[in-house]
Amino acid sequence: MSQNAELAGRLAAALSRHLGEAVKVQDFARLTGGATKGTYQFTAEHGGKSEKLILQLTTVSERMDPSVDATPRLDGTSDARLMIAAAKAGVKVPEVRVILDDSDGMGSGYVTAFVAGQTLGSKLARDPAFAAIGPTMARQAGEALAATHSIDPATLPFLARQDAADQVRIYTQVADHLAPDLPLLAYALRWVAQQVPPPTELTVIHGDFRNGNVIATPERGIEAVIDWEIGQIGDPMQDLGWFCVKTWRFGGRLPAGGFGSREALFEGYEKAGGRTVDPARVRFWEAFGSVRWAVMCLRKGMLYATAEEPISIEQCTIGRRIEEGLYDFLNLIEGRD
Amino acid sequence: MPSGTPSDDVLLEAAIEYLRTELLPTLEGYHSFQTRVTINALGMILRGMRQGAALDEAETARLVDLLGQEGERGTLNSMLAARIRNGDIALDDPGLRQHIRRSLEEALQVNNPKWLKS
Repeated sequence: MSQNAELAGRLAAALSRHLGEAVKVQDFARLTGGATKGTYQFTAEHGGKSEKLILQLTTVSERMDPSVDATPRLDGTSDARLMIAAAKAGVKVPEVRVILDDSDGMGSGYVTAFVAGQTLGSKLARDPAFAAIGPTMARQAGEALAATHSIDPATLPFLARQDAADQVRIYTQVADHLAPDLPLLAYALRWVAQQVPPPTELTVIHGDFRNGNVIATPERGIEAVIDWEIGQIGDPMQDLGWFCVKTWRFGGRLPAGGFGSREALFEGYEKAGGRTVDPARVRFWEAFGSVRWAVMCLRKGMLYATAEEPISIEQCTIGRRIEEGLYDFLNLIEGRD
Repeated sequence: MPSGTPSDDVLLEAAIEYLRTELLPTLEGYHSFQTRVTINALGMILRGMRQGAALDEAETARLVDLLGQEGERGTLNSMLAARIRNGDIALDDPGLRQHIRRSLEEALQVNNPKWLKS
């Protein structure tokens, strides 16, 4: 609690400096959603009005360890710059209000507007309140991706560049390092290595575009796309495939996020100016996505061995989810999905 | 050692039942979520206690069959992983496919049986 109070105090000083007027920070609270990220909600009072805002902090512990981390994470400043570029390209994102700098003494991070709505993937996929808007959300997801992929990569020189071959190589390295004796994982990685699609034109991609990383309402569907911190230059079909990975359907029956059809997703994408969808390539990324998720589970599960702080029960149990992704992968390649 | 009656799995099952049917409904927000996760974790341990040994034995027997040699489960698994990585066994080998599927199903029977039905 006192840690939160101290943080809220520093935040008030930072906001006052950036906005050029006295800002009071009220109701400062860590959001339960972000288990590994410093996401905070608060009310800022300034100039006679009050507004709800969100603070994102990139903590030191989540910085990259090249031996076990496959995807480079953006620091707060780069993350915010990508969101600003996405907004300009027409993607709905929470408006970036302030990017923290060194003199704020809070590390790397930024402040955005608060967007009201639901972020829980299971609600979007299975709550009857979202049933009617499902097909619309799938189309909106396609539209958001088309806009994301239209961002000029030259404006974001800090983004890492990884094509399918790079990703397969890197995730294989991580898996071989963490779990060399798991035949199930070795099998899946060998398969994806043999199926890597030919090189293609790369674009700015979100990298973690899935149900759970959007804010939506039953009335208007997707209101904002969030969690841009592993954005990179990659195969645009990767974002479409990742969106269909079974884990991100949260028990929903439909392939796109659990709430829409692939057709609606692809149609929204193409009509909004996206590239021509290559279903076979999307399929590869969906298969690779399940394997990638399994490797991410593996990595989480092994954190207990190296972490300085005790690992939460939630993180521990993610380690036991490796087989979910691998089972989905096997069903997918055998056409049983 | 204390007496083993009731056995560990029965004690654990009773504890899980209390958490699930009595404690969980009284909670909300953070603690409701964490308790749900805890119940899941304890369920994995319970199913592992009851089925783990038999599943390990079945896995070892399959590995012996597939690799054509005897050995400890761990050793056999790293041998199979190496053969797959080195391309010494084809990915569409029917015996291998069957082993991979069976092993995933068995692991999910312990870690998350619901996933098999989804």
